[in-house]
Amino acid sequence: MMIRFYLDGQLVEVDVKPTDTLLKVLVDKLGLTSVHYGCGEGSCGACMVLVDDKLRYSCLTFAASVNDKKVTTVAGLLSDHELSPLQKKFVENNAAQCGYCTPGMVLVAKALLDKNPSPSDEEIFDALAGNLCRCTGYVPIVKAVKSAARR
Amino acid sequence: MKNMITLILVFFGLVTALKEINESFLMPESVNKALQLKKLYRDSALVVSGGTASVQLVTKMLISPAAIISLENLPLNYVKKKGNMIEIGATTTAAEILESDGVPNCLLEAAKGIHGLALKQNATIGGNIFTPAPGGDMATALLSLDAQLIMSSSRGRRIVPLTKFYKGPLTYNIRSDELLIAIRIGKPPKHSMFMKQSIYKYGGQTLASVSVALDSVDKVKRVGVAVGGLTPHPYRASRVEKMLLGQKISEELIETTAQNVAEEASDTGLVSREYLRHLAGVLYKRILTRLTSSR
Repeated sequence: MMIRFYLDGQLVEVDVKPTDTLLKVLVDKLGLTSVHYGCGEGSCGACMVLVDDKLRYSCLTFAASVNDKKVTTVAGLLSDHELSPLQKKFVENNAAQCGYCTPGMVLVAKALLDKNPSPSDEEIFDALAGNLCRCTGYVPIVKAVKSAARR
Repeated sequence: MKNMITLILVFFGLVTALKEINESFLMPESVNKALQLKKLYRDSALVVSGGTASVQLVTKMLISPAAIISLENLPLNYVKKKGNMIEIGATTTAAEILESDGVPNCLLEAAKGIHGLALKQNATIGGNIFTPAPGGDMATALLSLDAQLIMSSSRGRRIVPLTKFYKGPLTYNIRSDELLIAIRIGKPPKHSMFMKQSIYKYGGQTLASVSVALDSVDKVKRVGVAVGGLTPHPYRASRVEKMLLGQKISEELIETTAQNVAEEASDTGLVSREYLRHLAGVLYKRILTRLTSSR
């Protein structure tokens, strides 16, 4: 079945099977490199995207369900090839080691800060609890989110 | 030979027909349309609410549904107060529950405990009721609250108490043409609390959870004690409830009843059943001690 959706602001059309996950379509069919396969069961957050501004594990989302919707990956946060202020905070705080979890971390941080611009430490830990960093670099990640928050 | 060709043609016809059915991803916009689809596909369709548990059934090839019915576009995201009652639409997410007024404490705590913002924004209360351990935290809270499930089909509505919903592992009191559309909680009790033990402090699977709802700590007239994680679906610790009824909750009573909380425990593969039974008793004691400390 053909579906169409806005991927980081650009309209794309792609042929999918009803059982295809959004992750499979983004990576295998559309060639995206910022959306990662990690666990395939919503435990690690490496495949995170925003669908109509709501966080979604793309491994737990059927691609057909995003028809006519807006899908945002971490690449969609850039404007004019410039990193967003949140992404810059991740760079400044060295909040990436191998980088595999980083896109997911950034998107969850964005969703959190959009809703709650001044989260407490506890709220940051709680929001990021669904994202795993295999390099265990949580301290700089939390630091980056805190520095991006409105103080 | 002719028979053989006919057989082959019938076989390919069937395969094509199955393939065509397998092409269906359905996103009804109204409850009526969803019920029509459920009546048509019955148990051959996978019903997806938030997708946090159900999508994996397909990706891990545990099931091969003839169609997928997504409830995402149904207007069932709501928490409404109806007199003394609270009604929660089946596709209301944990995040939406946390933002709603009038939700009993234990259900709020269960929703808060769902790890990570992404899971909170996607896990729905209706889906959670069907999710076996280590999922189903909200179901444990609802069970202690004597929640009722509103099942709908093109034949009409049916109310099923959550206490009568679980018939066995992944076996539910729901008919093949029905959809769970809402959950009702009668007059919320004065006290309620949910606690769980997960693998990690932040995140990780729930090992065991306990939810207690009661009207008074001085003379218990109404009590619900639900235990999750020990069995595929939560159960009511009815022996404990009987022991609490009519009593003033004291330290001694908490201690004696705690030994009866773990009625059963199955091996989850994560930890031993002995540890699960121990956890259930500890969580129960913590809850009752906390509830009585505000006396």
